[in-house]
Amino acid sequence: MMRDLIYWLTHTPVNTLVMDYRWTWPISESLHFCALALMVGTVGTFDLRLLGLGKGISPAALHYSIRFGVAGFVVSIVTGMLFIFGQPDQYFYNNAFKVKVVCLILLGLNVCAFYALEARQVLRLGPGDDAPVRAKVFAAFSLALLTAIMCAGRMLTFYRP
Amino acid sequence: MIELLTLVENHEISVFIREFPSVFGFPTILFLHTLGLAMVAGVSIAIDLWILRGAPAGAPLQLLGLTRTMWFGFGINLLSGVALLLAYPAKALTNWVFYLKMALVLLAVYVAVRINRELALRGGGAARASAFDARRWAVLSLMLWAAATVTGRLLAYTYNVLFAYELL
Repeated sequence: MMRDLIYWLTHTPVNTLVMDYRWTWPISESLHFCALALMVGTVGTFDLRLLGLGKGISPAALHYSIRFGVAGFVVSIVTGMLFIFGQPDQYFYNNAFKVKVVCLILLGLNVCAFYALEARQVLRLGPGDDAPVRAKVFAAFSLALLTAIMCAGRMLTFYRP
Repeated sequence: MIELLTLVENHEISVFIREFPSVFGFPTILFLHTLGLAMVAGVSIAIDLWILRGAPAGAPLQLLGLTRTMWFGFGINLLSGVALLLAYPAKALTNWVFYLKMALVLLAVYVAVRINRELALRGGGAARASAFDARRWAVLSLMLWAAATVTGRLLAYTYNVLFAYELL
């Protein structure tokens, strides 16, 4: 089944776009990194605020920027898909890629749980207020997962099949 | 120039960084460089976006922990960058994109320092006038970090040689 999927992916026009044009990959990588910086910057800074750094700023003021982080996430998913269409075998048989995908799923679950359980309370906090312990746990978990995603992403090259 | 590059890349530290037979060698340094970028550019971007939305004047004390994180990230970036440069000096120093990246990073750091100072100098009363200035600096900062990230990524595709002997 995996072989069929790889065969299909490598015979799509997207594969041609990624592999046959010299600058598609470098441009996509550049966009992927810019999007990563945007996502990690906005989400990570919000997490740091919940953990007690920059306490003079209300969490709601920093939360506004997370929409840009979401935009960054979308760009990184789109560019990431281009890489997979380009060289699927380099990713599907790569342990670092598997770790990255698991961390992305965990990050998504963490975000869902945060918005379901804590966001309302956190966004009511003012400058100088301390975040609840449960919100700090969500923030710490989020930062750890963001770091793991970056780490796994960098290790992709070194765990190539 | 070639002699100096050869000397550096044959030095035991350079060889150690390049050839350490573990994922905790060169790959980890690359990861630390990315982590440092995410910390320094990421926090800077978040502060820029906060300013663009109308941050109050006299903000640096409120930012204290965040700017420390930013400078810590810059420290990681600097150290890991030096290690990467020592590993492949010819690759970097013979590529004009490397110098462009360095210039952009230095400018972005200068702008980050300037933004912090600008906000500190303005009192609460001058918020409207100062907000306009800070916003221009914030836009410049966002553009510089984006350009620095792009040029950093393009280094892998624009180098001419990997080792100094290729220049002979």
